Amino acid sequence: MFTTGFKFFFGLFAAFCAAALVYGYTTGGNHVGPLSLGWKGGVGDHIGYGVLVGLAGVSLTISLVLVSFRDADAAAQAHLQNLAEVPTDQPVSASFWPVAASFGAGAAAVGSVLHPMVFVLGLAVIVLSTVEWTMDAWADRATGDAAVNRELRNRIMAPIEIPVIGALAVGVVVLAASRILLTVSQLAAVTVAGVVSALILGGAWVYASRPGLGRRLVRVLGAVGALLLLMGGVLAAVAGERDFHHHTDDTHEESGEPTSNGEHGG
Amino acid sequence: MTLTEPAIADSEAASGAGDATAPESSDEAVAAPSTLAQPFVTSDASAVGRLFVLASLLLALGTSVVGVLLSLGRTEAVAPWDLFGGFNAYFRMWTLYRMSFMLLVVMPLLLGVALAVVPSQVGAGNVAFPRAALASFWSWLIGAVIIVVSVFAGGGWGAIDGVTGNESDAMALTLLGTGMVMVALLLGAVTVATTVISLRQTGMSLLYVPPFSWSMLVAAAVWLFTLPVAVANLVVIYADLRGRPAIAFGRAESPDIWLQLDWLVEQPAVYIMAVPVLGVAVEAVGAAVGARSSRPEAITVIVGLFGLLAVGGWSQDYFTAPQDLRDGLVYVAFGLAAVLPLVALAGGAAELVLRGAKTPDRLLDVRMVGAGAALKLLGAAALVGALRVIEPLDLLETTATWAVFHGVVVAGLIASVVALRNWSQELRIGPLSAVVGRGAIALLAAGGGLLVLSDLVSGFLADAPDLMALSLDGSAVLNVVVFVGSILVAAGAAAAALGAVSALRPVPVAESDPA
Repeated sequence: MFTTGFKFFFGLFAAFCAAALVYGYTTGGNHVGPLSLGWKGGVGDHIGYGVLVGLAGVSLTISLVLVSFRDADAAAQAHLQNLAEVPTDQPVSASFWPVAASFGAGAAAVGSVLHPMVFVLGLAVIVLSTVEWTMDAWADRATGDAAVNRELRNRIMAPIEIPVIGALAVGVVVLAASRILLTVSQLAAVTVAGVVSALILGGAWVYASRPGLGRRLVRVLGAVGALLLLMGGVLAAVAGERDFHHHTDDTHEESGEPTSNGEHGG
Repeated sequence: MTLTEPAIADSEAASGAGDATAPESSDEAVAAPSTLAQPFVTSDASAVGRLFVLASLLLALGTSVVGVLLSLGRTEAVAPWDLFGGFNAYFRMWTLYRMSFMLLVVMPLLLGVALAVVPSQVGAGNVAFPRAALASFWSWLIGAVIIVVSVFAGGGWGAIDGVTGNESDAMALTLLGTGMVMVALLLGAVTVATTVISLRQTGMSLLYVPPFSWSMLVAAAVWLFTLPVAVANLVVIYADLRGRPAIAFGRAESPDIWLQLDWLVEQPAVYIMAVPVLGVAVEAVGAAVGARSSRPEAITVIVGLFGLLAVGGWSQDYFTAPQDLRDGLVYVAFGLAAVLPLVALAGGAAELVLRGAKTPDRLLDVRMVGAGAALKLLGAAALVGALRVIEPLDLLETTATWAVFHGVVVAGLIASVVALRNWSQELRIGPLSAVVGRGAIALLAAGGGLLVLSDLVSGFLADAPDLMALSLDGSAVLNVVVFVGSILVAAGAAAAALGAVSALRPVPVAESDPA
């Protein structure tokens, strides 16, 4: 009758309502103010009361949505899938997204005090984790076969994940490589670019010509390369760009010495 | 079965999905995470419970060391502000000690045990929301790190002599970390409560749910009535600290921040930590003597009553005139009534002993000794709490407040040692050594007893309200006793942490049953 998801969020709704009442009356609320959302009487401290009532409203909405769509209702799912028996328990696959959401929340908390960029990054991770977590939760209940569930999930998410991750990876590589090339001297920049290009070309050639190469080895090499590039990019960004000497005829030359503030010479 | 066994295997075993006829592609598609990756991806509540227990015990060690330093400051061997480098720094550590023991040690410790034990007690394969349980642990841990780092960076829950610019940033971080920890604990508590309500076996009435599971359900309900109120407090304080003056409610300077939160570590709200202790004690006594209660519904009612008396969001004297609140009938009634369920539960435990095997080895079992010590300390705390609300005794704003706190906290630590011994199989750890268990319980009980007693007597000796025990010149001997008690508690916490770490080794299931 009532789904697990409904019970969870309706319970939260009840708890937040109770907390709002307690909070309202203990912070100066009077008459039936906290009971009537301030219609008759004061609600006490507005901010805390507003937050608790807001959370109660959100929880109630989610609970009604979940019970309307019969989410996590084994009988309803069995009916949809034409199964003869209702599965008693469903496996929950391992997922990194709960941890990612936690780190996102931590980053948002720290960023809200220290730097807006960290805050925005934390929020982005929370949103991403929420979407991925939701998809994982849906896929786990799609059928009784874990492999089929995984395939279903990947069929929907992979067309989104792969381009997004690819674009992010390209962005990080471009940003990190450009920081490195702008920090080292002109000659070193050419050398670094040449060596890295040769390594990528050589690696791709080896991988293409030896299909039997261990996947783990390739992953480890790729991870080490990405880590080195990222570390180099961060160090280069901290060191700043080398000194650029601009001339009036729009030609410029570099001294090869990095500056601490990264400003271009004039 | 090993510590690193993939969660999916358990889930599949429970659901029957992992049988031999499964297609080969299934194994690849749901490949088990590596040992290193497991703490980050596991959907096994027992593994999450172990993470909670281990991290909480390590934090217990750190917090109790802070307690030793604080009590050293009371001995007059060295001025407290010299010891910590200033009065604000002393105040920071003083508040950290209290908040940490509650939010970073006792509550997560018992929640961790519950995540591992409750599913098997109610006949479920796993908790209701395994991923939420994992998020709960990591959010709690990250929040804990933010709290500790920000406090040491000059933050904390207020400053005695005003807030400077840098301190304001660090304090904001402390507030955010505290909120994160509270929300994480709520998430874990809701997971446990939903498991008991929704996933228990058909035919198992709530009245006959095993005592520990019932106590966690009650505790989760009480936490849900209490922690959101504290989070709302934090929102107001944060707005005062960082927002514009137009929306300021109070003052985010001087000790006002702490004064808006201190109700959480004072009675009645301080008892929210102790509700699961009742369940641990009853089950440990029953397991030690091999008996079941003849009136399990009576235990259920007693635990529920204690939970009801622990609801404390209403007792915020920052918003109500202290004399109106503290002298009010409800506050006094809550304080006095808290003793009753503990007396009744002691009677229930005594009935178990009378019904069970009374051989010396069973009566001296670690679980029996630990349960007795935890109940006695909790009873002592409740008794002090009852004395505290008797107005003519003038104990309200004295160190008697911390006698209650210390009794509850140390009872929680002892209960966790008992739980490690009693439920090693559910936690999938090796059996906690009897010697280590007895040692930890003896140290904690002795230290806790000394702290409760000396804080109570100091409270009687105080001429004026003195919560921080800074002017207890007349009770120098008692302050030395507090110092000794703190050392014993720290040693007990160290023994418990070492015992837990040494038990974290792969063991066959049959070997891990201490009984």
